[in-house]
Amino acid sequence: MRPIVVSRPSIFPTRVADHRLFARTRAPKVPWYAKRGGLVTERENADESAEDSAGAGAGAGAGAGVAVALSALTLAACGGGGGSSTPPPVQNPPPVVPPVVPPPVTITDAEAARFLLQAQFAVTDTDLAAVKANGYAAWLTTNYNAAPGQTGVAWLDSRGHNSITSEQRYFWPQFGDFMIWNQLLAGPDQMRKRFAFALSEFFVVSLSPIDGFYPPYVIAAYWDVLCANAFGNFRTLLEAITLNAGMGFFLNTKGNLKEDANGRQPDENYAREVMQLFTIGLYELNADGTQRLDANNNPIETYGQSDITNLARVFTGYDWDYTGNVNTTVAWHPYPVPNTRFATNPMRFIPGNHSNLAATFLGTTIPANTPGPEALRIALDRLFNHANTGPFFARQMIQRLVTSNPSPAYVGRVAAAFADNGSGVRGDMKAVWTAILNDTEARTLPAASDTLSGKLREPVVRLVQWARTVGITSSNGAYEIYDLSGSDTSLGQSPLRSPSVFNFFRPGYVPPNTAIAAAGKQAPEFQLLNETTTAGYINFMQGMTRNGYYSFDVNPSYTALLTIAHDVPAVIAWLNLRLTANQLSATTLAVLQATLSAFNVTAGSAENLKLDMLATACFLILCSPEYLVQK
Amino acid sequence: MKRPDVNAPGLWTRRVLLQRALHLGAMGVATPLAINLAAIGEAAAFDNTDYKALVCIFLYGGNDYANTVVPYDATNYALYHQIRAGAVGENQAGIALARAALEPTALTPNNGQVLTDNLQYALAPQLTGLKSIWDAGRLAVQLNVGPLVQPTTLAQYQSTNRVANPLPPKLFSHNDQQSVWQSNGTEGSTVGWGGKLGDIAMSSNATNSLLTCISASGNAVFVAGRDALQYQVSPGGAVRINALNTPLRDALNAIITRQSSHVLENEYAIVTRRSMDMEGVVNTALSGVNPTTPFGTGNGLANQLKIVARLIGARATLGMRRQVFFVSLGGFDNHNLLMQDHPNLMTRVNEAMSAFYAATVELGVAEKVTEFTASDFGRTLSSNADGSDHGWGSHHFVMGGAVNGGRFYGTAPHVSIQTDDQVGQGRLLPSTSVDEFAATLARWFGCNAGELPGILPNVGNFTNTDLGFV
Repeated sequence: MRPIVVSRPSIFPTRVADHRLFARTRAPKVPWYAKRGGLVTERENADESAEDSAGAGAGAGAGAGVAVALSALTLAACGGGGGSSTPPPVQNPPPVVPPVVPPPVTITDAEAARFLLQAQFAVTDTDLAAVKANGYAAWLTTNYNAAPGQTGVAWLDSRGHNSITSEQRYFWPQFGDFMIWNQLLAGPDQMRKRFAFALSEFFVVSLSPIDGFYPPYVIAAYWDVLCANAFGNFRTLLEAITLNAGMGFFLNTKGNLKEDANGRQPDENYAREVMQLFTIGLYELNADGTQRLDANNNPIETYGQSDITNLARVFTGYDWDYTGNVNTTVAWHPYPVPNTRFATNPMRFIPGNHSNLAATFLGTTIPANTPGPEALRIALDRLFNHANTGPFFARQMIQRLVTSNPSPAYVGRVAAAFADNGSGVRGDMKAVWTAILNDTEARTLPAASDTLSGKLREPVVRLVQWARTVGITSSNGAYEIYDLSGSDTSLGQSPLRSPSVFNFFRPGYVPPNTAIAAAGKQAPEFQLLNETTTAGYINFMQGMTRNGYYSFDVNPSYTALLTIAHDVPAVIAWLNLRLTANQLSATTLAVLQATLSAFNVTAGSAENLKLDMLATACFLILCSPEYLVQK
Repeated sequence: MKRPDVNAPGLWTRRVLLQRALHLGAMGVATPLAINLAAIGEAAAFDNTDYKALVCIFLYGGNDYANTVVPYDATNYALYHQIRAGAVGENQAGIALARAALEPTALTPNNGQVLTDNLQYALAPQLTGLKSIWDAGRLAVQLNVGPLVQPTTLAQYQSTNRVANPLPPKLFSHNDQQSVWQSNGTEGSTVGWGGKLGDIAMSSNATNSLLTCISASGNAVFVAGRDALQYQVSPGGAVRINALNTPLRDALNAIITRQSSHVLENEYAIVTRRSMDMEGVVNTALSGVNPTTPFGTGNGLANQLKIVARLIGARATLGMRRQVFFVSLGGFDNHNLLMQDHPNLMTRVNEAMSAFYAATVELGVAEKVTEFTASDFGRTLSSNADGSDHGWGSHHFVMGGAVNGGRFYGTAPHVSIQTDDQVGQGRLLPSTSVDEFAATLARWFGCNAGELPGILPNVGNFTNTDLGFV
């Protein structure tokens, strides 16, 4: 191997400010409701809906309250795995604690790392030690009880993104990108964030089509709903998402009107997608996620157009809630600027806009003239209690965290946890996550002969994992990372910017003309892979690993690695464990050893040389299919 | 009948098709082998040294047909306005366009045809470039086309006997209808009809068969064949891996191209190797092709069509004879804000398609390239207050130097939410099937009647496999 020239970091592109990226990504638009003659004023916010708003919004608050109670209980009870000391008496029934599985005799570093890379984004020394000491279940419990990190909305506030100036930044969407990158890269509760990211690929809302005032707040409030309910109950989450302002915009529940005498019909978008994508799916499922077949061996459709048309009536009468809004008159356009409350308040209910027709769907009839909130309760209950919902949700969450092709038995076990968490509660999210991660099929390293195991890591998860592993900083706290969706020059995927409600990739995607297809297996994340994106990703990571992101604000720190940069085997071992759970092959390890040794880094070398070497190490590993496929 | 010489280069394609004829039984189509044997004796279009390219322009989300090809004569416009605006008038209201705005793009067929109810249509006001191409006789409008298993009446649609009256699966569902349009199967289907054309055409492209089916817009089943892979190109051309031009070359190459016994790892590396193998070939060929036709700026569809035009311009260098391209534009799911968003989409479509046609003229290939639009579905005629909902049949464009344009094909639907050519709220019941539409394009591409069932399994259920627009 030729020695690498050490006088300059020649392999890494000199970072050049890409001024396109600093420009506002969208020209300011007059919001549609301004064109219609102004904003909804305070006067129009009748108090009849205040109760509903309070009820819907309480989900997040109640969740936080329960989390606090749980953590108090854990501190009072045994701190380790496997202990069975009696919890102190409490006035309320104790919250459900997932059954504690005694840890195996030893958990190796690789096993612990492998678990952490399924349960969250990156391995930390603290987590590694905790898993090895206390086992998987206890570690999960600790994380369920950990205080949630700062919300997306709070972060936006802290950065002043609700300010009103003549620059009209309240129209700019890119702060929504900064927000989610901050949430994913910097939040201390990375397990909660990992699950919320998986949920964002199920209950999809995308920042991309959101315009008008404060798009970052609209997407942040949606993200915050996912985070707040990630350890709660699916039924609560379903309702909070249904009434979320961002979801209302994205799937048109916002402003949805009842039928009229001129032939206008309720918008059917949410009614369709809440069934197709958020609860029951297209075809009837067995409890293990396999399709039920009729007498002719055909799949059985779960719903038809009539179900959609009827269910659409339930989602009429909702609109953004301006309770707490303050309008600011400005000199630079004739309409005032609101504050961000419309984005963070759950939608309000306007009885006059709600259909009073009966609605019959999925074998349930909501009588005519049923009040809207009651109709919503009946409809969401029907979807929540449908036999499909558990396996439909369970299988996709397994695909997001563990493997693209879970066995039906695995799906069945997780679906069973959804159906009953062990204490008679349906929809307990903690029971679902625990069932996914503690299952033998997740905890068992696939045999070498299982050549179709695991899943392709998606680009966002790769980037966040690397960044958290080596340390990432924002020099001024702005987290100025833009939309990375570009496939030829960028990462090829950006969080909360799915191209449609169907996510970046489909759960059932089979890459054509591959051995994966020939084996009848699915590989959802392969839907992002092609000749353009494979090269674009490599080019993007080449720059990112050495120089951080183009905006100069977000940079890797390599703090821990710098202390061992002079020791090539130690660097390789450190990265192999934390990036791949020791899944790199001997051949790849040898290539790394030879390439990195050629830098001739010593303890006294200049920091730039050390960073060149460390970035090269990360770059090569992050491009390796052995890393890219999580097994 | 003379036994075919298997070594004759041109007849290799027919032999390949014969082998595939055995697959036809598996696809549920009973086609006597004798028909395919007879095909051997005919001149094989793919053996010619001419060039043809098919370009699919997919409008993701379900394009609103009623504001794209708009009823314009007074009587029918009044019906349109009443349904879409909920009132009498000729002003823009509800989701109805103003009649005066349609005057510049009003269409007069060049063959004196008379449509249903004496309908006259106008294009959306933004489609001025397409109007010019219509006037030049090179843009055709296919009316009311959509997926069908067999010709279907309203009574058959409403019947519950799905054995006697089969329907396409998962109507009105975005992802499934995108897949049905592109591949005759619901989401999860792995082979599209453009890809099947590529399968037949691959051997005509001996030098670079990998470039037979090309997408400029991300993975799309339309251009995935059984053997023909879909090759991705970005609007800037093939993407080069920069680090391969540095001292890190050997190490990186070893890592990213390494074969693995793990199937997912191995398939990932295969894509990377393919990307590397083709990059130099494609970019070198493109470097000499720079049409001066302007494609605008910031228009994603135009950027995609520009790279398609340049690739077509490079066809001789690349040794291509038959190619299938895929481009797309999203944002058509106008459940709301139809009147704000649809015109912007029409502007982009107009700019991109007009520029592409002009570029093919500049490159001297206008009659060798046929482009057509497609979409998940049409939408409702009726309104949900500020938008329309998922529909079925839709109107689409076919454009190119070989097109018999300036006229309509298919049956114009009544402007109604009550007639029997719609299934409620003005969702059109297609009177032309995607199979017939695709078969017409496939024939122009060079397929003969015997090859159509292999490409479109239900085409045998329809009598007219050449609609005549190209």
